[in-house]
Amino acid sequence: MDFLANLSLGFSVALTPFNLLMATCGVVIGILIGALPGIGPPSGVALLLPLTFGMDPTSGIIMLAALYAGTMYGGTITSVLINTPGESASVVTCIDGYQMALQGRAGAALGIAAIGSFIAGTIGVVLLMLVSPVLARWSLAFGPPETFALLLLGLTTVTLLTGESALKGYISMVLGLMIAMVGFDIISGDPRYAFGVPELMDGIDFLPVAIGLFGIGEVLAGAEAAGGAAILSARYGWRDVMPTAQDWLRSRWAIARGTVLGFLVGILPGAGPTVSTFLSYALEKKVSKHPEEFGRGAIEGVAGPESANNAAATGAMVPMLTLGIPGSATTAIMLGGLMMWGLRPGPLLFEKNPQFVWGLIASQYIANVMLLVLSTVFIPLFVRALRVPYGILMPMIIVFCITGAYSLKNSVFDVGQMLVFGVLGYGMKKLGYSPAALTLALVLGPLAERALRQSLIISDSGAGIFFMRPISGVLMVAAIAAVLVPTLRGLAAARRRAASRVA
Amino acid sequence: MRSADRIAGAALLALAIAFSTGALKHYAYWGENGPGPAFLPFWLGLVMAVLAATLLVGALRSRDPGPAWLPSGDGLRRLALVVGATAAFVALLNVVGMTIGTVLFLVVLMRFLDRQPWPLTIAVALAVAGLNYLVFTRWLHVPLPAGPFGF
Repeated sequence: MDFLANLSLGFSVALTPFNLLMATCGVVIGILIGALPGIGPPSGVALLLPLTFGMDPTSGIIMLAALYAGTMYGGTITSVLINTPGESASVVTCIDGYQMALQGRAGAALGIAAIGSFIAGTIGVVLLMLVSPVLARWSLAFGPPETFALLLLGLTTVTLLTGESALKGYISMVLGLMIAMVGFDIISGDPRYAFGVPELMDGIDFLPVAIGLFGIGEVLAGAEAAGGAAILSARYGWRDVMPTAQDWLRSRWAIARGTVLGFLVGILPGAGPTVSTFLSYALEKKVSKHPEEFGRGAIEGVAGPESANNAAATGAMVPMLTLGIPGSATTAIMLGGLMMWGLRPGPLLFEKNPQFVWGLIASQYIANVMLLVLSTVFIPLFVRALRVPYGILMPMIIVFCITGAYSLKNSVFDVGQMLVFGVLGYGMKKLGYSPAALTLALVLGPLAERALRQSLIISDSGAGIFFMRPISGVLMVAAIAAVLVPTLRGLAAARRRAASRVA
Repeated sequence: MRSADRIAGAALLALAIAFSTGALKHYAYWGENGPGPAFLPFWLGLVMAVLAATLLVGALRSRDPGPAWLPSGDGLRRLALVVGATAAFVALLNVVGMTIGTVLFLVVLMRFLDRQPWPLTIAVALAVAGLNYLVFTRWLHVPLPAGPFGF
């Protein structure tokens, strides 16, 4: 079976000492970044991306993927102990996780989250392994119209990431596309919107933008407030962390449901781990026999969403690897990294770089095991990291942001650009715009433009080419529906509000 | 929030119009055998104009002034200090170099924003600057901007 051959190839790559070390570093740094409030998975990946430039791309992606998995768990620690989410995919965990901590069951909450994450992550990797090659083979038939339709679908569904206001999500997305237009035109070679500045002629790199929007933007939002939050103290002995038989009985189906739900949501372009946690929480509350316990420390309310976000983080890798379309903000940044390493994500990746893809998949198994061990045994250590005052942490994060932005091209211009986007990111966060949508659009913009123009060149029916081919037709209809449905719903709601005001 | 929406809507609308007209003026909309470099920018500007106008009209209609989006008092002072210190750091990067710049930057923020004790401030500043130098310049061979003393 070539399946097993592929997997053993993967493990032979992942088990080299250097790659094992990178996976360990990734998990540890990921847990820390996830745990620290005000710095989340996208900033973590953007900040560590420059470290990987000197490495082999396989080692680089192994570290980043392990980091992504680590952040999903790290955020939980903060949610449970401080009642502040360490990152957005742990917002829901605050509800019941913090209640459990108040009842003295912080250890149990963290323990079930670790076990749920492990199960979900492991099943997620199995699904990733089964689904990806099939999808990659299927998408080999994609021409420019299909590629464009898929990118358009990815861009339109990105507003699912934002939640707050669909309008502001679209504004962020279109702004990202506009920024992507800066620099040499890929087909004619004309420099666009460069204003004679040589640095702008090469285009605006996504990495300084991502570091600015996420890293600096988040830090500035946190800089306003002085002081830190109170951390609940708890006991993290082996017995406190292991779930009791009753916990386990209550959680097992929540974990199973969270895993399946999370993986499916993760695969969808645009909707990432955060969306999956909200859906999982709602689902658990609905199917529960005692919904009144939700909000008062129901363990299912921790187990379900925590499993879902890890499964979704793995699921988000599927469209990134097979189609070149990221399923979340974090994978959008990883995708940018892949392109910088000179790898072209998409169907051919599986044929041309099997050691890269299978090494990544195998290392995800290893990362999940490490995550389980580290997160049960070393919880007290990570909790101690939370006690580092923000006033010390914040300047350090800024220094890392500056170093990261500089190291891409050894350019101070890039650093200045990062700072500008940092201030923009702060404003966007405050006013309800979506930095994630902007980043996604910036990464996908050039790909979308090339596919669009190639399609129109080969077409003899204008834009009709997108609707006359079956796959691209379905994708186009889905993309249009993704825009129309929320818009119409918004209009209907506005009309209802207006009507009730008159009445 | 509403007044912020008004400003953002108006600014984005102006940007969108400039973006589209600029594209048509300076680049070709249609090339020899297909869409030219101005094609997508023109349409993007148009879409942005519609979105920005929607935001602007909605914000103008609403009477609710909405919450303040810039912090006031101490929060604003802290924010300005962090942005100002970072901007100064970036502007001086090629003059003082990464290592010395890092030490100064950390000392300024830790000591004057957060009132951390001097010994801790110095220790953290030196450790971060040293680690950064070792990892990037020595290990990864990414030369960070050097100052007058070569680091």
